[in-house]
Amino acid sequence: MLAYTVKRILLVIPTLVGILVLVFGLMQVVPGDPAAILLGEQATAEAIAEVRHELGLDRPLPVQLGDYLWSSLRGDLGDSFFQNEPVTRAIGARLGATIELAVASLVFAIALGLFLGVVAAINQGSIIDVVSMLFAQLGVSMPVFWLGILLTFWFAVELNWLPAIGRGEPIPAAIAAALSGRPGVLLNSLSHLLLPAVALGLNSAAVISRLVRSSMLETLNEDYIRTAYAKGLPPSAVVVSHALRNALLPVISVIGLRFGVLLGGAVLTEAIFGWPGLGQLAVTSISQRDIPLVQGVVLVFALMFTLVNLAVDLLYGVIDPRIRFE
Amino acid sequence: MFKTLGVLAGVAVLGFTLAGPAPSALAQGSENVVRIGTDVDAGTLDPRIMRDTTAYRAINLIYDGLVQLDENLQPVPGLAVSWENPDPKTWIFHLREGVKFHDGTPVTAEDVKFTLDTIRDPALKARFRSLYAPIDTVEAVDKLTVKISLKEPYAPLLSYLDLGIVPKHAVEAGVDISNKPIGSGPYRLVKWDKGSKIVLEANPDFWDGEPTIKNIELVLVADNTARAQALEAGDLDMIQSPLSPQDIKRLQGNDKFANSIQSGIAITYLNFNTARPNLSDPKVRKALAMLIDQDTIVDQIFEGTDQKATSILLSSWAAYDPNIRQPTYDAAGAKALLAEAGWTDSNGDGILDKDGRKLTVELGTHSEDPNRIQTVEYIQNIFNQNGIETKLRISDWPSFSARFQEGDYELILVGWTQLVDPDRVTFGQFRTGGSFNWGGYSNEKVDALLDEGRSSSDPAVRNRVYRAAATIISEEVPYYIISYQGYQVFYDPAIEGYIANPRGMLRSLKNASIN
Repeated sequence: MLAYTVKRILLVIPTLVGILVLVFGLMQVVPGDPAAILLGEQATAEAIAEVRHELGLDRPLPVQLGDYLWSSLRGDLGDSFFQNEPVTRAIGARLGATIELAVASLVFAIALGLFLGVVAAINQGSIIDVVSMLFAQLGVSMPVFWLGILLTFWFAVELNWLPAIGRGEPIPAAIAAALSGRPGVLLNSLSHLLLPAVALGLNSAAVISRLVRSSMLETLNEDYIRTAYAKGLPPSAVVVSHALRNALLPVISVIGLRFGVLLGGAVLTEAIFGWPGLGQLAVTSISQRDIPLVQGVVLVFALMFTLVNLAVDLLYGVIDPRIRFE
Repeated sequence: MFKTLGVLAGVAVLGFTLAGPAPSALAQGSENVVRIGTDVDAGTLDPRIMRDTTAYRAINLIYDGLVQLDENLQPVPGLAVSWENPDPKTWIFHLREGVKFHDGTPVTAEDVKFTLDTIRDPALKARFRSLYAPIDTVEAVDKLTVKISLKEPYAPLLSYLDLGIVPKHAVEAGVDISNKPIGSGPYRLVKWDKGSKIVLEANPDFWDGEPTIKNIELVLVADNTARAQALEAGDLDMIQSPLSPQDIKRLQGNDKFANSIQSGIAITYLNFNTARPNLSDPKVRKALAMLIDQDTIVDQIFEGTDQKATSILLSSWAAYDPNIRQPTYDAAGAKALLAEAGWTDSNGDGILDKDGRKLTVELGTHSEDPNRIQTVEYIQNIFNQNGIETKLRISDWPSFSARFQEGDYELILVGWTQLVDPDRVTFGQFRTGGSFNWGGYSNEKVDALLDEGRSSSDPAVRNRVYRAAATIISEEVPYYIISYQGYQVFYDPAIEGYIANPRGMLRSLKNASIN
């Protein structure tokens, strides 16, 4: 297990180098010159050439790539062309917000997805099942930006229960404040987090609930379930310890993949809720052809995705002791 | 069984119950703060290298220029109390006494010289460097006198001297004024949460008196509709263009908000590449313009957020003259004009031709603005119906702009912004060999007029000159101006004394108060 974990972690490095080379290549292929964008519509050709030189964009491509790979190995991702700060600082300032949003929506999606899926499965064919799955169908079909605007309209504009935009104190700091007797800080943070997390997580909740339902239905028909009931175990123990635990395996792997979807969806969610995360930075940097920043943001997204999926793979062994790693 | 479900249900609604209907901190609104929604985060707060509207607006509050442009785009005293123009190539500015930067050091002629010298240095990569290129030297005559000598007469200069003056000592000492700006304006930076908000507070030592409104926050909400909703939810106190037409209509009908809807200082236009054989004949360009129904585009597609343009002269300029008119919609007249130019459907295939060549046009725009895409689709449709084979070429702004700047286009729908002076949308655009004359338009009379407009600082002369140039441009149609882009602002009517500015500048908030 330990050897396997170390091997997997080491494999992350070539993956990331591959991603860097790919993104670097893509940014070269896509038309559009950062120097021209930097100078705007009123730029002259000479001015653009001067800025290209200043940015080092007139160097041969292999030199640019080599320099970049070498300095990123030392933790220096270069300076953003447009933000007037190092890429690591620009990303560092926003990373926490995106992780907070993605984790909150994942927690929401897992909780709601498990609940709906289990309820639907044990009540198969009943009205509860139909309503749950109708809800799941809605969740799967609803685009995140549309849901975000609807939620804001209901809960912020009409009811005025929750703020429409912004973020409170980061959750860890807010929890610390609550523990030291200022619960208002945590309530404020959560009230800001709730709408974006629901908007972003609902789609995943729906996907998870459908998967849990079908996986549960399969398990509930297994012989050992009948045996468990025959032993006289209470229904709750059968459902949770016997059926759900065995049904979770396919669900776990989907949760890892959903994390990638959530990171992608965060881009839109952040725009709607004024959430100060990486998504907005990603969009702006791409449209500005801010090459170092695009590379940095993609690298961080890729790193997060890879780590989450590594964690998911390792979780398999915890959930199902039959699985052996080599 | 129910116990299990109860636990699961509890987990599912954990978020809801924990958060509950907590009132938002922002919605409570402390009395002395104005929260303004913006669509992009500022890239920098250094006036010399600013690039985006949020930066312009924040910098306009944090820094002082030699002049300020008022709501009619006329220069009024800023750091300079007065100025002279003893000959067309010399400008002398007399600075206000006792003005201090936010760090307490006095603002001197050396700071003005430093700002204007560094912005012209290619190493700084300033976006607006070309606007100051006609400056030859800047001289600090004494502590409070600045003399600017020009390479050639350059009347628009005054409109660009609202450029924020930066403290020489701080920049030379390595202070990162991009992120920690030091100006002398009515507000100073408290903190800048990147990707979230810029928080400003009133400068108690401001030369024109400490502003009554103590705090201004520029809050980033990238999505237009979400920004409008945040205003309605009470999380913002003011929002401005860009806004979506349906939101503008809804907010106009809401008497909880005051508004100002006016013509801005930007245009949306069609640029004809006059170097292309099919478009080199002014008659053809005129005929194509006559096929386009501005009403449909401005009223239906832009849903009335813009004004129909009459010529290259903006209605917010002193030189504006409603009698100068580019071709207007006349489909029958267009057909006749094309026939006069030799384009007829001689082989009956539905496409006009001349000397065995089909009349084809490639129509391009960028993919970021859905209204522009809809507009080119509409134009394509009309052109095709009238026998002009029209292809669309749409790509994102960086690719699109890279191409047209090299002259690789036929007909494109684009815009010009920040047009504080007529020179800014004519000299580079229509003068033979001009920096932005990508389509190679050339007319000796226009060249002479634009040179005269640039060199004369007499308003009467400039009005006459730009009207004459606009008349020729309306006749020869290198540009067909579709609309003057509108500027809209909605705000809490409790903000009293704020005067909307067509550039979206917020400086009048320094004299405003919250009722």
